[in-house]
Amino acid sequence: MKAVKGKYYFGGVHPKGAKDLSKSAPIEVMPAPETVYVSISQSLGKPAVPCVSAGQTVKEGEVIAKADGAISSDVFASVAGTVEKIEETVTSDGKETYIVIKASEGEKFRYPALENPSAEEIKERIRDCGIVGLGGAGFPTAVKVAPKTPVDTLIVNGAECEPYLTCDHRLMVEKTDEIARGARLIAKALGVANIVIGIEANKPDAIKAFEPYDDIKVVILKKQYPMGGEKQLIYVTTGRRVGLGKLPADYGVVVQNVGTCFAVCEAVEQGKPLYERVLTVSGKAVKEPKNLLVRVGTKIEDIINFCGGEAVNPKKAVLGGPMTGVALAGYDAYTHKTTSGVLLLDKKEAAADEPTPCLNCGKCADVCPMHLMPMNTAFYSAAGDFEEAAKQGNVAYCIECGACEYICPAKRPLIQAIRKTKAELRKNGGK
Amino acid sequence: MDNTIVVSTPPHVKSKKTTRSIMLDVIIALAPSAIAGIVFFGLLALMIELVAIVSCVATEFVYFFIANKGFSNKCRDAGKVCVRWWKQFDFTSVVTGLILALILPATAQWYEVLIGSIFSIAVVKMLFGGTGKNLVNPASAGRVFMFLSFAITTYTACLIPALNFTSGVFTGPTNLSWLLSSDGNPVTKISVLDLFLGTGVAGCIGETCAAAILLGYVYLCIRNVIKWWQPLLFIAVFGLAAVFMSGFSYIQTGGYIFNIELFLPHVLSGGVLFGAVFMFTDYVTSPKGVYGQLVYYIVAALLVAVLRYFTKLEVTSFVIMLMNLIVPLIDKYTIRKPFGYIKKKTQKEDK
Repeated sequence: MKAVKGKYYFGGVHPKGAKDLSKSAPIEVMPAPETVYVSISQSLGKPAVPCVSAGQTVKEGEVIAKADGAISSDVFASVAGTVEKIEETVTSDGKETYIVIKASEGEKFRYPALENPSAEEIKERIRDCGIVGLGGAGFPTAVKVAPKTPVDTLIVNGAECEPYLTCDHRLMVEKTDEIARGARLIAKALGVANIVIGIEANKPDAIKAFEPYDDIKVVILKKQYPMGGEKQLIYVTTGRRVGLGKLPADYGVVVQNVGTCFAVCEAVEQGKPLYERVLTVSGKAVKEPKNLLVRVGTKIEDIINFCGGEAVNPKKAVLGGPMTGVALAGYDAYTHKTTSGVLLLDKKEAAADEPTPCLNCGKCADVCPMHLMPMNTAFYSAAGDFEEAAKQGNVAYCIECGACEYICPAKRPLIQAIRKTKAELRKNGGK
Repeated sequence: MDNTIVVSTPPHVKSKKTTRSIMLDVIIALAPSAIAGIVFFGLLALMIELVAIVSCVATEFVYFFIANKGFSNKCRDAGKVCVRWWKQFDFTSVVTGLILALILPATAQWYEVLIGSIFSIAVVKMLFGGTGKNLVNPASAGRVFMFLSFAITTYTACLIPALNFTSGVFTGPTNLSWLLSSDGNPVTKISVLDLFLGTGVAGCIGETCAAAILLGYVYLCIRNVIKWWQPLLFIAVFGLAAVFMSGFSYIQTGGYIFNIELFLPHVLSGGVLFGAVFMFTDYVTSPKGVYGQLVYYIVAALLVAVLRYFTKLEVTSFVIMLMNLIVPLIDKYTIRKPFGYIKKKTQKEDK
């Protein structure tokens, strides 16, 4: 369908895209590493329970950890080989339990391909293949496609508002048809007829790619960060305001990332479990920025070496996007299902200015997509009054997009203050 | 892999704007007014501007030096303290000094300017905790201090224009005083164009030339330092309120007249325009949220209009101070509702 322009929401920032670095690099398949470290917590909710033991031979794509409870997802072997050990390790990414698999020649495990599946079959397959939201949060898709309230619209999130990241962009350009088919499958599982795809205006080739599909409405989104935030995306594409503490499904909407649609398509049509994903390796400190198809559990160091290594000394190594990603202390971390990027930022890119006194300029409140007041939170949390910090800043609704800290001329650590407030409240039994 | 890698909370990229760059932008925006002041009032204006800036920066430096124990240990750490001062120096004191100079009449004595500057920085700004912590705008507080101490006011100050656009040396009361007194129609006294360009108009150094102020306003808007609607809202509300109030002055002669022609003379006279662009918009002393800002500008505009009518004085600086003091109160009651906020009533219905 002909592309239409999306709405505008109050707030948001306009960081430098820096997408040119990897925008035109086609998706490359990274060869399987010798050893993979697959974490058992690959999604929101409880970590999965390992169902293999050391010494066992596994096929590529075999379940190695079972979902525990409703909000959890299966974890799969990303290479064929032998399970070396299951251990809790501290990496630069934090403390997690990893299943270590040494790769060797072996067969692939696939579910039987489904032809013309029913809604129930699709839902079951999504659960079996351990698909999670690949946008970053990693919410199990199986839960999302079984909403408690009736829905009428599926929104495909192709905003990719984070600077540097281009993996969704490349997917949309190269795997347009797969994404469309995946979106149709999800729509069928949900029983909805409307499919809307939101794409930011800085990806004209992706917009063009989706225009020929008659059943998919393309919405051109303004270049504004965070456009891909769930509530913001729903508002700009459909005009619906999702209430605080409510789910999008309560307003008849389900949002899925383009990467998730692609994974669903593969899961249904080829029976392939989710054990690899496309991610972007970028930043001025990396020699050859690339978009890579990487197996879950690949060491970051291997990925960087595959991309030619460091160009200059990096100031920051980031797992994920530059606005919300995790800064690494070293390259000894491993990719997850939700890892959308590996960034090496040089001195110029990674801002490390000393914080100066707050000017009270209110820019953080102006850009907040949730219309909160971050400066109040920062002020009260610095004074140690976390109750008041939460109340004055409405911290509970913060999506931690980082827009406030991005814009702050005094370079105040606002996100840190917000996270601290949230953590303190949790400690004191608050929400 | 070396150990220079930095770990922090996101975001890992930040905007290039800093406090320093914003203050430099404000200084650039003030430059046209400062130059116009020198053109109209000659070297007297230049002298006042220089004295104010230098004494403001010097006061801040001396305060910082003493507070950071620059004199202890027989001044052994003096160098280090100076380096630290330069590192944290964000040009706010330059802005304060420049604004203070621009809202003074050119007849102000150098020692008056010096004392006013020291008061602005030492008492109003630094004693409260420095940049970002001051309760009231240092420049307006300094001006009020000078007004009360040395009887400096644009109402009585007679000015010597350096360039004579009108015939003869123009040493009369400012346009504002005509405007506020009720004898006849002030529009005939000075043309609106003269008021706009500041030619032949008595007033404060930076306040006479509206054209220069507008240039600064446009620059600040382009650089996204201030929100474009804030001065406009203030000016619109103030202008209408001032016209409304001045209608009463005709009551004795011919009944109430709402003369909209007075809008421009009211807006262009005195320090209202300058205050609206450069002083009310001061980050530190204005509300943080959008709702708070709306309340702040509307109330301030009404106050200026009403007080100006009754006191027949240039009250902008007083109103700025007054409004600054109630900003915490405004902030307290104008917390923004989050995106997707559900009213309490509907929440109950849902249950």
